[in-house]
Amino acid sequence: MSAAAAGTTAPALDVRGLTKTYRTGLFRRTGRAALKGLDLTVHPGEILGYLGPNGSGKTTTLKILMGLVFPDSGTATILGAGLRESRWRHRVGYLPEQPYFYDYLSAGEYLDYAGRLFGMTAAARRDRAGHLLELVGLRRSAGVPLRRFSKGMMQRVGIAQALINDPELVILDEPMSGLDPIGRRLVRDIILGLKGQGKTVLFSTHILSDAEALCDRVALLRGGELVRVGDLAGILGTDVSHMEILVAGLGREAVDRLAPALRATHALGERWRLEAGEESLGKIVKGVEEAGGRVLSIQPVRRSLEDYFIKEMGERTEDGWEREG
Amino acid sequence: MGAGRLARVWAVAANTFRETVRERVLYNLVFFAIIMTLAGLLMGQLSIRQDEKIIKDIGLASMELFGTLIAIFIGVGLVAKEIERRSLHPLLAKPLGRDEFFLGKFAGLSFTLLVNVLVMAAGLALTLAGTGRRVDPHLLKAIYPIYLGLLLVVALALLFSTLTSSALAAVFTVGMVVAGRFSDVVRNMREVAPGAPAWLVQLLYYALPNFRNFDFKDRVAYGDPVPLAAMGTVTAYAAVYAAVVLLIGMSTFRSRELS
Repeated sequence: MSAAAAGTTAPALDVRGLTKTYRTGLFRRTGRAALKGLDLTVHPGEILGYLGPNGSGKTTTLKILMGLVFPDSGTATILGAGLRESRWRHRVGYLPEQPYFYDYLSAGEYLDYAGRLFGMTAAARRDRAGHLLELVGLRRSAGVPLRRFSKGMMQRVGIAQALINDPELVILDEPMSGLDPIGRRLVRDIILGLKGQGKTVLFSTHILSDAEALCDRVALLRGGELVRVGDLAGILGTDVSHMEILVAGLGREAVDRLAPALRATHALGERWRLEAGEESLGKIVKGVEEAGGRVLSIQPVRRSLEDYFIKEMGERTEDGWEREG
Repeated sequence: MGAGRLARVWAVAANTFRETVRERVLYNLVFFAIIMTLAGLLMGQLSIRQDEKIIKDIGLASMELFGTLIAIFIGVGLVAKEIERRSLHPLLAKPLGRDEFFLGKFAGLSFTLLVNVLVMAAGLALTLAGTGRRVDPHLLKAIYPIYLGLLLVVALALLFSTLTSSALAAVFTVGMVVAGRFSDVVRNMREVAPGAPAWLVQLLYYALPNFRNFDFKDRVAYGDPVPLAAMGTVTAYAAVYAAVVLLIGMSTFRSRELS
């Protein structure tokens, strides 16, 4: 973590006691609490992953920050300015969840339009749009109307428009949504590139492997409340949870004989993946060799963010938590 | 309004105009051209004074009808569709105020309608000239108020567009336009409903936009004089009424949650 991330400078984003209830019904008497007194700080230069199941309040938080919905109570400052002030908007980029852009425009025209809203000159808009289209891999589609774009291409346009003003703070709502593995890798690289340039990134995601690969810190949200915030090592710990042993040349009977020392077994064609505690490792290796098998690899396995999250969220997978590896 | 604000309003307006052009809104001009060509061909059968009036009548009425349809059905989608599709979310996160977005939308559609009206006016003049009739500059005294009336329709459509869905906004705007065309009926309501309170009738009469104020078609077509002062009066009426409607629209849009 950088010095900035350690909190030695003013936060890039500071949220205090943010509360929001959505009112529904004819007389707006019924309400659904989306946020319950949220406190959150994002330090300059860090990547913070904002995680939580569907309906936990992630998108509501980001919409409040962008002034799209209004909080019932609480305050927030963005780059030192209050939400109602507009000066921070020149220094922030935002990608909404499942974005829709004018389909009668091409990607180049949309970026030009976005640049105009920042008061950029025509030359600066042209240069920046060209650079960003190259960055998101759409240079050759710059003149194609957006109505012909796939969901993944639209998402890339969304990321490009969020960066048109070379922002200091980038807020991305589900940036990996709709992207294929190549697109996800590209967006990961963009996010890491932003951090390399000293930018601050706050992004919400469903995909835990992305959060684990990218974030300095993560904030876990459940039911509109912050469950935990901190760096990944602090949350997950560095202890090995179990060992994974890949073996070949063993029959089912031999594996069954080893079973008392194992936590789990998985048949992989002619090979087996065995899971065991660290303390049983010697016994298992010896047992495999005695049965005429071969140990192909042994890997220590740490607790993953997914393991942590599933435990914290009480196995509420029906909420839409996505378990991608 | 500062230069930055003005540039952003202009950017939204230019994009709105581009949208209407690319969505083929100006294709209505083809229908207008067909109507004017048919009118020119058919009127050759009538006497010279009569057919000139009929060509003017048809041209001005088409101008008003097509303009009103565009103002309503494009106008109601300007904000409502953006909310429904969430296309304004990335825009409002930028240094674009909601008031600027709203005014830009108004200016963009107003410009589309101006182009539409000007092209139709040129079409009417061409029809008159092409059939050997006099091109009367006094036609502008009917065309200009038609355009003012269209601006008022756009303002109303935008207001309803901030309050509800585009479908309901269209219903409300059509209702206001129809009620505004028959505002005399509202004024004389007590003749058919004597129990209606006088203050309510008065309030309704003045609150509804009086679109008859913008109707100079017959006077111009018949060659009756239209004083310049009348143009000043309708300009002031349109400016004040549209300003009030736009201010209400901006106020409701400012407080609208975009969830």
